[in-house]
Amino acid sequence: MATYLVRRLLLGLLTLVAITTIVYGLARNMPGSPLTAQLGEDPSRKINAADYERMQRAYGLDKSWPEGYLQWAGNLLRGDLGRSITRKQPVASLIAERLGPTLLVSGTAFVLIWMLAIPIGLYSSARAGKPDERLTSLALYALYSFPTFVAALFLQVVFAVWAKGTPWELPLFGMTDLPTDAPIGSRLVDVARHMILPVTCQTYVSLAYDIRFIRANMEEAVRQDYIRTARAKGAGPWRVLFRHAFRNTLIPLVTLLGLSLPSLMGGSIIIEQIFTWPGMGRLFFESIRERDYPTIMGLTLMFSVLTLLGQLLADLLYCLVDPRVSVD
Amino acid sequence: MAHRSSGFWAEAWRRYRRRPLGIAALGFVGLLVVIAVFAPAIAGTKPVLCRYKGRLYAPCLGYFDRRLEPAIFAKDKFRGTYPKNLAAKDPESWAIWPLVFQDPYRPVRADEWPGRPENPAMDQGHPTWSNLFGTDQGGVDVFAKMVHGTTIALLVGFVSMGIAGTIGIVVGAIGGFFGGWIDSVTSRLTEIVMCIPTLVLILAIVAIIEKPSIWHTMAIIGFTGWTGIARLTRGEFLRIRGSEYVTAARASGAGPLRIMVRHILPNALAPILVPITFGIAAAILTESGLSFLGFGSPPPSASWGSVLNGARSNLAMWWLVVFPGTAIFLTVLAYNLIGEGLQEATDPRLREARK
Repeated sequence: MATYLVRRLLLGLLTLVAITTIVYGLARNMPGSPLTAQLGEDPSRKINAADYERMQRAYGLDKSWPEGYLQWAGNLLRGDLGRSITRKQPVASLIAERLGPTLLVSGTAFVLIWMLAIPIGLYSSARAGKPDERLTSLALYALYSFPTFVAALFLQVVFAVWAKGTPWELPLFGMTDLPTDAPIGSRLVDVARHMILPVTCQTYVSLAYDIRFIRANMEEAVRQDYIRTARAKGAGPWRVLFRHAFRNTLIPLVTLLGLSLPSLMGGSIIIEQIFTWPGMGRLFFESIRERDYPTIMGLTLMFSVLTLLGQLLADLLYCLVDPRVSVD
Repeated sequence: MAHRSSGFWAEAWRRYRRRPLGIAALGFVGLLVVIAVFAPAIAGTKPVLCRYKGRLYAPCLGYFDRRLEPAIFAKDKFRGTYPKNLAAKDPESWAIWPLVFQDPYRPVRADEWPGRPENPAMDQGHPTWSNLFGTDQGGVDVFAKMVHGTTIALLVGFVSMGIAGTIGIVVGAIGGFFGGWIDSVTSRLTEIVMCIPTLVLILAIVAIIEKPSIWHTMAIIGFTGWTGIARLTRGEFLRIRGSEYVTAARASGAGPLRIMVRHILPNALAPILVPITFGIAAAILTESGLSFLGFGSPPPSASWGSVLNGARSNLAMWWLVVFPGTAIFLTVLAYNLIGEGLQEATDPRLREARK
């Protein structure tokens, strides 16, 4: 077990080095720099060459990208993620600031997904082949193929444009319209109203996917010999479904949970972008546009670590729930 | 009893045909191919065929490639408007026009076509009989844009998955067949590419390329989307590598390349085709998502996602959401249904369950 963990962690470290090198190299080779992207074409904000060079040196942009990468990695080893160039703020605190809003949406979506996916998945495997099940299945399939950005736009048209002036109207953008000194109760309600559309968008695709996943696994499980045995000894249909079939589909389900970790923390870039939700996904998008290398790197590192951790966690949970699986 | 048993693919097709939705999906993709091929004849402002100064021309080919538009019309200063110019410069001329006289790249002007008013712009452009799907902010006909965007939607799927399929199969086959340290290297490579956030990679590469075109987008989607295929191919090769017929082939002196291509690949192809089909759907989603965010192919290419992008700034123009949104949805759904049908038709484990 210990040797397995050490090997996995070492390999993970290697993967991390490779990913961050690639992303740093790509980011530094994008045309423009944080200085030019920030100042734009505005002639009144043009700075003279000497100032520009001084600023470049201050941010370490005068070095080649391999040197810059080594410097970034060195700082990282000392626990320093660097400072955002365009936002004049440490990257770590910038990420911490955006983590809350992202978790608010994706956490809510996550709870909703699993609260709905397991009962619906079990229901549709219990009613397999019946007309109502086929209809649900087809609807879920359609939902799964429905692109989130199209759904987001549809929802925006319906709830923000067509429902304008009715009680059904929902806010389009951002997290809250109220000032920070508004009473806490009304602020909570306001944030909740802003959350409805992004949460809906983030929920439905995964929901459709997870239900189909549960169903596919159940279909496999109910064909096993132990199900026939359970039926033969007289267990009722629901008991067979829960105690015998579903328990055995928990393993792939747990893996799926592990693999959804990065998207839970990282949020969805497109959804946050459409609803201008001040989360991590949007921060990522903005930092790419602003060529804010430290922020791009900080977020990439976070996403990669989470992805790798999710995979490791999934594998470890796998042998925890299933004694037949051994890592060694 | 001398009945010849049908081959694997004939059997798979027989199973596939039983699914009405799968057939409908295939039909839909076929319809898209027809629309893409005949796009200039369905919507355009250039004659499909015309007789001008004693010779026959097909100016509509200019929609496929600017160079295919006959040079004589540029010389005679047609400037892209055919109906009036044809009549004025050669009274003897005749022309066969596209079904819908609308251009995917520019608004139609007031007196261009008899009885056709000028295309409305901004939020006045809701669907009417002269603009079936309405017009966008600049007054360009959405129906024409979407008909001509069909080519992009189809190409994106096939080209990017062609690239991804090739890389994935090669990497997975090498790793799965040789095993050992070669497998470690290819597996790590796959893992690394899998961990890079695709959108970052795409955004960064699009930013680096000086003049990004739709071909670049397709290539990038292809070069980042092969990991799933590689993993599956590796698994299949690992499984088949130990089977008796491979040992037999090895014993009869076949080299590794021959074993991989002739003996293992045909038997591993069916399960690999499934993620490729799903990948086509994902590629179309990625491309339209990129165009939607404003990172796709630059104008004048009329991708469905770029029509959607126009709706972001003005949500009252609901027709910019509904028509391209539905088109993207139906296309993605069709490919997913085909993939699902393929899976059910070729996976022996699922097949037994259906008996």
